[in-house]
Amino acid sequence: MKIRPDIVQVYREVHSWVGILCGLFLFVAFYAGSISMFEQPLQNWLTPAPTLPEPIGLEATPELLQKAFAEHPNASEHYTIVITPDNTRPARLMWPQDPTHRGHGPQDFVLGALSPTGDLVTMTRRPSEVPFFIDQLHEQIGLPLPHVVARYVMGCVALAYFLALVSGVIAFLPALKKMLFAVRLGTGARKVWLDIHNLVGFFSLPFHFVIATTAVVFAFHDPIYAVQGKLFQRGPVADHGSMHPHGHSGGRGNGNLVHAASLEGQMPPLAILDALRQQAPGFVADTLEYTTQQGKGKSQTTLRIAGHDNRYPMRGATNGFAMVDPLNGKVLSADYLPGHQSAGFAALTAFIALHFGSYGGLPVRWGYYCMGLGGAFLFYTGNRLWIAARQRREEKNAGEGLQTRGTWLLSCLTTGCITGCMTGIAILFMCAPFLPSGGSYAQASILYYMVFLLCVGLSFILKERQREPLLFCVTGFANIAATFVILFSITWRHASLPALSVATIALVLGCFLLWSVRRSACRLSA
Amino acid sequence: MTETRLNNRQWLAKFMAALVPGALLSFGAMAVVGTLCHTTGDIRTVSAQFLMWMAVLVWLALLGSCFLFRSGARAWAVLGGAALLVWGVFGVLTKVIMA
Repeated sequence: MKIRPDIVQVYREVHSWVGILCGLFLFVAFYAGSISMFEQPLQNWLTPAPTLPEPIGLEATPELLQKAFAEHPNASEHYTIVITPDNTRPARLMWPQDPTHRGHGPQDFVLGALSPTGDLVTMTRRPSEVPFFIDQLHEQIGLPLPHVVARYVMGCVALAYFLALVSGVIAFLPALKKMLFAVRLGTGARKVWLDIHNLVGFFSLPFHFVIATTAVVFAFHDPIYAVQGKLFQRGPVADHGSMHPHGHSGGRGNGNLVHAASLEGQMPPLAILDALRQQAPGFVADTLEYTTQQGKGKSQTTLRIAGHDNRYPMRGATNGFAMVDPLNGKVLSADYLPGHQSAGFAALTAFIALHFGSYGGLPVRWGYYCMGLGGAFLFYTGNRLWIAARQRREEKNAGEGLQTRGTWLLSCLTTGCITGCMTGIAILFMCAPFLPSGGSYAQASILYYMVFLLCVGLSFILKERQREPLLFCVTGFANIAATFVILFSITWRHASLPALSVATIALVLGCFLLWSVRRSACRLSA
Repeated sequence: MTETRLNNRQWLAKFMAALVPGALLSFGAMAVVGTLCHTTGDIRTVSAQFLMWMAVLVWLALLGSCFLFRSGARAWAVLGGAALLVWGVFGVLTKVIMA
């Protein structure tokens, strides 16, 4: 393909500069993001099983509700019925300990169960926050900043990422036909990195465009909607609440009054599920979330059913939603109900699902995991390439391996950040099974950032020749150690698929890192 | 017509042009299209969500292509002019529709 050579040159320069600016952030975001594809199963594995009686059958739920609301009237304002309890949501009934809490991430839930004699048993706890911490690393591109600030920083990085993609494509297009499959393994290191970078970049391009665009949308949709509100809204501002998957609406009121209004006339959960099954066959409900809002003198209960349907893209990271009438089980809003959306909503959902990989079930998730790791590798090769090119130029100009401060800084940062991120996450998985209730957010932050800073510090102290081999060895051994610790933890807890998967992947990754160190050592000595 | 060779000497000016007047232009485009399709600005509606995507995509397209301008001044003139134009159109449209 012919493009004017000056345009190619302009975009090549843009590519190398924006690439180097956002490469490391993107590495962390992609590495953590690929793991957070499995946030739910990981949370299930790391959260210890509670000491509660077995969940009662769904048909007995009304009895449980009555007993729970008699003892805890304010629970009826906002509660969730779990269809298939697991370690994360181990009880049939749960409600947030603080009903006003509308935060992001795991929170303290009161779990309600019935003992064999029919007495109410409750306990309060929150699930393991380590997987959520990894998800936050992904969302905040590894920066320990307040969530809102980090989101805008992420948005700026996503803009640079998009620019890097566009400029990379334009810079590579002229050579596309000639170079695509030409991986010149026998030649200098720089050419090998370049060819691998081009190959991986070209074949994951659609994925990267989707991720970049959606990331910009995630970062900036709030201000854009605010502008829309100012431009188009006439009359009183409508409250956007229960329909929106991110927002939760809820009111506080007198608990006893709520109690009187809320259960009366409601369909029992089994009947609701039957009604839903008839209206939306194939949609598997996970939770029924009841929220009661106090209006003027009367209360209104809304029911949001979260569930999944692997045949269709879903709006949330793991779920689609339906708003259902709690009195008769009729679907009130199918805007986010997979397979029952209007064409417009289905298209919008598809965009978002393409980011989350929330379609097609487990195979797609594994695919996204691989693409995510591939992306992280792409950014690593990009940085290596930049450093190699600079070093070569500087050696030519100054002779004898002198390098400028900039090249040295970037070289240290690249090795430090990527090994820090990978080692930090390995250490998290190593420690999490032994932490009480699977690890809190604060514990996870301390562990991760300590390891991360240690690796970055080390990479600044070490000499050029030792830096990468040594730190890669550290990461490799940390991953292999994580494998054995996880396998050991299985011996006194139950074995589960997520645990075995994490152990296997850590082993493979660790071996790969050690192998790459050995290989490059051989090449250097040859 | 003699073509001048492109270079990156004024990259910052071009980039800022795409960032600031470019954002105003994409918001303006959103305003005009939104007015024409009578959106209510309620974020639960399909139209509001599509408009949000449109604004982002327009902005991204401008960011990606801003380095093709011959100079920074030209980028500011074109994008700023276009932004003024669409907001002018929006002003006229709201007057017409309100009337």
